Amino acid sequence: MVALNVLGLLAVLLTDTAFSWMRMFVALGISVLISLAVGIYAATSERAGRIILPVIDIFQTIPIVTFFPFVILIFIGFLPGVIGINAAVVFLIITSMIWNIIFGVYEAIKAMPKEFADLARLYGLSKWQKLSKVYVPVSMPRVVEQSVLSWAIGLFYLVTSEIFSAGNTAYQVKNGIGVELTGLALSGNTFGYLLGIGIFILFVIATRLLFFKPLEDYVVRYTKQGVSQGRISTRRRIYGRVMQLRLFRYLQSNKKAFTAYLVRKGGAGRGVKWRVAKVEKKTQKRGAAYYIILAALAVIILYGIFRANLAADEYSVFVALLYSFGRVWLAFIVSLAIAIPVCVYVIFLTKKSSFYLLLFQIIASIPSTILLPEIVALMRGYAYGSELIAFIVFVLSGVWYLIFSTMHVAKSMPNNVLEVKNTFGVRGVVAWKKIYIMVILPGLITGSITAIGAEWNASIVAENFQNVHVGSGIGKFLDMTIASPGFRMSLSNHYLLLMLLALLNIIIMILLINTLVWKRLYSRVARIYG
Amino acid sequence: MDSLMHIIEVRNVSFSFEGVAAKVIDNVSFHADRGEFVSVIGPSGCGKSTLLRIIAGLIRQERGKVIHLGDEIEGPVKGISFVFQDFALLPWLTNIENVKLGCSMLDISETERMRKALMELEDVGLSGFENSYPNVLSGGMKQRVGIARALVSDPDVLLMDEPFSSLDELTAEILRKDILYILKSKDLPVSSVIMITHNVEEAVELSDKIVILSHKPSRVKRVIGVDMKHPRNKHSRPFMKTVDEIYATLTK
Repeated sequence: MVALNVLGLLAVLLTDTAFSWMRMFVALGISVLISLAVGIYAATSERAGRIILPVIDIFQTIPIVTFFPFVILIFIGFLPGVIGINAAVVFLIITSMIWNIIFGVYEAIKAMPKEFADLARLYGLSKWQKLSKVYVPVSMPRVVEQSVLSWAIGLFYLVTSEIFSAGNTAYQVKNGIGVELTGLALSGNTFGYLLGIGIFILFVIATRLLFFKPLEDYVVRYTKQGVSQGRISTRRRIYGRVMQLRLFRYLQSNKKAFTAYLVRKGGAGRGVKWRVAKVEKKTQKRGAAYYIILAALAVIILYGIFRANLAADEYSVFVALLYSFGRVWLAFIVSLAIAIPVCVYVIFLTKKSSFYLLLFQIIASIPSTILLPEIVALMRGYAYGSELIAFIVFVLSGVWYLIFSTMHVAKSMPNNVLEVKNTFGVRGVVAWKKIYIMVILPGLITGSITAIGAEWNASIVAENFQNVHVGSGIGKFLDMTIASPGFRMSLSNHYLLLMLLALLNIIIMILLINTLVWKRLYSRVARIYG
Repeated sequence: MDSLMHIIEVRNVSFSFEGVAAKVIDNVSFHADRGEFVSVIGPSGCGKSTLLRIIAGLIRQERGKVIHLGDEIEGPVKGISFVFQDFALLPWLTNIENVKLGCSMLDISETERMRKALMELEDVGLSGFENSYPNVLSGGMKQRVGIARALVSDPDVLLMDEPFSSLDELTAEILRKDILYILKSKDLPVSSVIMITHNVEEAVELSDKIVILSHKPSRVKRVIGVDMKHPRNKHSRPFMKTVDEIYATLTK
């Protein structure tokens, strides 16, 4: 009897996970197609790029999960029951996984040897030939690389949206691992929950090894040298230059070693400076569009406040925002404290970095929200338990972005950095200051932007979850707004406006911090390194 | 009339990069006639490659004209082909597909395309490598594919942008010897070749005419005719004399 129950549960969990995975594959397929179209268009048309890039930049950093209730309302409005809710979930996953793939395509085409574009013009390739023979293949390595990342992000949203909707009978997703796990955890069935997690992890590993690994192996050919040996990717060249500059400064204190290094290196890549200058000019242009969009959003908000006359509610939006802000940044600092030593160890101190990278990718594919139901079940009755739950989920959501971004950028570190470090026996504090931190800094900064975005996402979910009772917070606020009886009566009602106000507030705040803190920090680092 | 017409005429061409006041190319004129192998030589970074891309119609000049058989060049045209310094083979296409790319502009059937590409690949000495990918080839072989791709459309002008400078000296030497033979053995011979180089010996070994450019901005310093029989002996007196003359002009 018991065995039969376990078997039944296993069957249910397997089908549910399969359903979840189907949604994922549909979303990934659509994402890749759209990304290719948009990325290629943005990279080949200067004017289109100037508009598309800042918009994508913004979408990439805002917590899209906040739109989920909206999306569900809209989709259910147009499509009947099951189709509508599934379309909404797939749509949500797409909006989470698509942005980095678009950027990948864009960057791949921008970094493509300019001879390829010359070639296409010289031999008069048709539009279709250009796409199929040049632009699409040249993008494939980045598409695959970014898809791996997108898969992990997508899983987060998949599970999150399933969990999100689990408690709400009005728009429940049927057949999804997230729904099942929430049910099991909240009903106290720890065995079933663990079994579910186990199956989930198995699916994650299988997808990584049976789907993405072969793809990665296949596109390796696309990156192999079809051009002369001397040509390395721009990023690697800039990076090589950076490392050389840093090392030069350090080595100048040891003249003999310095000369030896110079002799070995010969002439360093010419023309790199010019490229960097051009990149900076581009970002300035992007900056302008950024401010325009910010201003537009601000106008919408002011208009909203004016229209609705929401003095009291608006005040509570700001308090909620302040609470979430505190949690997010505290969680961010803790994430940094975890990510930095982990990255330094994996990049510099161990020989098994590729093993760790794969391990991290698999662990990171397990969305922190999947643990949420169980954490909630475990923390029942503890003082400040809710705050702790929120905090744990925040850290788990953010820390991987820091680690992956850092490791990704460090991958383009020239081999001779390690050689120089070993040859001259650079160790201890000097190694940390002159090499480790310097190598991981650019990646750490880009990772920080996405990490904080992810932590905001987590704040919406974690504060929103049943039985989590944080003092105040933006997720809580949204939850209460949705839960209020007047909500969902019509699309133009008071509550909807209130929600919109909250969302726009988050977006504005994130964008402000991006432009004021991260972009500046990044351009400063880029200047030193360039 | 036709015999008087230059195959390629570069007339008073000037060029500067966007946002940079100083000219890169300043009032450059020269021409290539039927059967002529012209080398354009100058210090690195003097805008030689830009000049070649202007002739190919890939970059638009600021002032002046490029005339191909009486027609002004306004974009890439059928009769002009290009060999790249870094080969520029598409790594995801097989060698034969890379070569076939070269006749995209020709209005011929797929089988004809295939036949031409196979023949061209054989001419450059690479039969047997049709279905492998560029990454299994050595640098010299890659450039042979690049040359086959450029010649498969039977162009009347072949532009070469430092075609040997990405190769090691030994490989370059062999390919230099072969290229004249490959060009000559074609059924429809190439009328003119314009090659960019910074290697003086290479220019003297291959060319009928050498255009020497100055540095920043590029101006024509001097045009030297080379009238020696092929194959040329690098240690012969006229060869060494021409080389010395070019060095003297370049460093003046």
